Amino acid sequence: MCFKNLPIEFDAQGKPFLRAGVADPYGPSSAAPRGAPAQLTAERIEDLLKRNGYIKDLDFDPITRVAGALAFHTVADFRGRKVLEARSMATLFRGYEVIMVGRDPRDAIFITSRACGVCGGVHSVTSAMAIEMAIGCVPPPLGILIRNIALALEFLYDHPLHLHLLAGPDYSAAMVGPTNPSLLERARSAEAPHAEIHGFRTIGELMEDLNPLSGKLYLEALHMTRVAREAYVLICGKYPHPQTIVPGGMSSTVTLTVMNEMFTRLAQFFDYSKKLVAIWDDLTEFFYEANPAYKQVGARRANLIDSGIFDHHEAYDATYASATAWGERRWATPGVIMDGQLVTTDLHALNIGVEEFVEHSYYEEWSGSGQRQHFPTDPVGNPLSPYHPWNKVTKPRPQGQNWKEKYTWDTAPRWDRQAMEAGAYARLWNTAVARKLPANPFIEATGTSLKLRLPKGALPELELEWKVPAVWNAFERNRARAYCTGFTALVALNNWLAAMDRLKLGDTRTSAPFEIPKRGEQRGVGFWGAGRGYLTHHLTLDRGAVANYQILTPSTWNASPSDRWRQPGPYEEAVLNTPLLEETDDPAKFKGIDILRAIRSFDPCMPCTTHIHSDAGVITREVNTCACGIDDEGG
Amino acid sequence: MRVIVAGVGYRNLRDHSVGVTVADRLLDHAWCGDVAVEDLSYNPIAVMQRLEDEPPERRFTRAVMVGAVERGNRPPGAVTVYRWDGVLPSDEEIQRAVSEAVTGVIALDNTLVVTRHFGGMPDEVVVIEVEPGVQEFGDDFSEPVAKVVDQVCELAVTLATDAGAAAQLPRAPLGGALPAAAGRGLG
Repeated sequence: MCFKNLPIEFDAQGKPFLRAGVADPYGPSSAAPRGAPAQLTAERIEDLLKRNGYIKDLDFDPITRVAGALAFHTVADFRGRKVLEARSMATLFRGYEVIMVGRDPRDAIFITSRACGVCGGVHSVTSAMAIEMAIGCVPPPLGILIRNIALALEFLYDHPLHLHLLAGPDYSAAMVGPTNPSLLERARSAEAPHAEIHGFRTIGELMEDLNPLSGKLYLEALHMTRVAREAYVLICGKYPHPQTIVPGGMSSTVTLTVMNEMFTRLAQFFDYSKKLVAIWDDLTEFFYEANPAYKQVGARRANLIDSGIFDHHEAYDATYASATAWGERRWATPGVIMDGQLVTTDLHALNIGVEEFVEHSYYEEWSGSGQRQHFPTDPVGNPLSPYHPWNKVTKPRPQGQNWKEKYTWDTAPRWDRQAMEAGAYARLWNTAVARKLPANPFIEATGTSLKLRLPKGALPELELEWKVPAVWNAFERNRARAYCTGFTALVALNNWLAAMDRLKLGDTRTSAPFEIPKRGEQRGVGFWGAGRGYLTHHLTLDRGAVANYQILTPSTWNASPSDRWRQPGPYEEAVLNTPLLEETDDPAKFKGIDILRAIRSFDPCMPCTTHIHSDAGVITREVNTCACGIDDEGG
Repeated sequence: MRVIVAGVGYRNLRDHSVGVTVADRLLDHAWCGDVAVEDLSYNPIAVMQRLEDEPPERRFTRAVMVGAVERGNRPPGAVTVYRWDGVLPSDEEIQRAVSEAVTGVIALDNTLVVTRHFGGMPDEVVVIEVEPGVQEFGDDFSEPVAKVVDQVCELAVTLATDAGAAAQLPRAPLGGALPAAAGRGLG
């Protein structure tokens, strides 16, 4: 039984059904989440602000440039050194769902690709998969393998970029010095346990080279993004927004030469992963030891969701009916972690548990008031909520910002009515615990950890082990992302070996022919992932044209606002739990570094060039969040 | 003298696509000198790496960069042309530009700042900015911008091929100081 709030039960064959006797099974009161944290009411916050001089607004005020932004509002108690209110705001609407309606579905591959400039190919592939499912088209094995390798290369571009260009500066000497001088002093004499791998004798030296623009680690990451991108371009032709993604596979021609050229780039990530893990292990343990309160920075319940990625080339058949089977044979197992426990790996259960709410979003409700629910069930007869993406209708309604009512263009996706977090770490956690990984010589899932055997390069062969963490916070997100770089490189290696076997057999086919049906109604969903986690495209076709298109991105989940039950979104919850550990008692000098670490640990991808405001004026620097969370209405 | 004429912007974002459109049109131009035309509408870090890939003897010596930039202090369709003085903002601003660069933001200012900081951009940079009127999905321009697209193409050709014309432009910081004051205004 994986649902605790929605009235969904399972029969003896594991088939889900709605519990009998529930008059309004998806109504707000019949399936309210139990045990979830709730934001203070806006009235309570207003009262606290009026009565206490040490409680102040801290607004992360966006300077919107070309592409979109996310802003963050907090109320902080400087005496108690805690955050009392956190509101995540996506400030732009670009409405890919609206753009897509009425178009040829093939356009979706190229148009939705633009939802994000970092996740340059993931939307294309997710879109192609949704179309494949709707029209009944299966890629050949080599097409699946190449698609997997391409995705891995995107992540090898994304993870180092996030770790050392975006998150890394928060842990650099340039940032730690001004915010926590005693911590930097301590770091300068703290020996780094993994010096033989990363080359830094002390944590202080490591922090110096995390400095933005000039640090060696910063510049090295800049270089590694190029290596990954070159490898991607070799097999996909272009990055971002490849033109080679088609329903039924890839249109690229892949040869042994191309594969070998690509491999010379991929192989560089074996050593680099060892180094990344050593760095983030050492940094994390240093902060924990220096002040255990750092374990609370960005902390929240371990509620994670991931749609799974990297299809097994002998399992994926692009049908919804078989999604449970092919999903569980993926190299990264789909699943839901609730309060640290794996509750399902079944893509059907994952899909039917998803709902989106708009109480605090600039949209009109599309359900209720006697409106017809278009799809009461999924394609195999499992119950669907009226708030499910296949039933959702995008109705934008711009209006003024009001914390009590609407304050963001992001929606509030929930699974079993709980706020879930998406990320690279959800991928690791599901895969480690589920133990459904395909047999291979490099990666082992133990049930509590993932063992990664990275081949010899300039550094010797090394076995790394990511263990399911006891606490879930900003540091563990970054640490897991470092391990995920190694995991990703090894998934790519497994798929590269399988692809080489196909090529040696003369099997060079990377795509299958397809036709768009001109009659009837079809449905599809692409279950895939971005560097920062969960990604789905839900599609409905009507007489050959898109009738409905809904994108759910990782940042739609992570940046989501509070819901109708006052349950905060993941960014909001993580910030609410973050202690203010900066070494200043003066709000005017406050940089908000711990709040920034909390938000940035989610790998937000789109700059929301924000400044923190206090009553004393503009103080500090930018936060990043993801356009993905904004583009499709959020997101 | 080797010149690159580059468009920077987004496709299908109406007025914000003007740089891309100009690059597309000039691809077919019969150039009389050593001029390359490219769409540099991608991550500025990758743009920097692409420019650095040119062998030393083939490095570009002048760049003519074209794009829509919303300054808000000039009417839609206003064109500002200047030689960039190459002065970079603070390190904090550069890091912000890098963050945006690697997270997918495509903006002419970012491209200039990042490529100048890390290298790759020629010393002589001529900027042609167009003030956009609308920012929404679509493949056509608003009327004020549509009116100046041909002129912008002609201007780009002149500034790419006539070193004297480029040299007469005012040197200015990003944005070209104030419209029609330091910059040369059209439209």
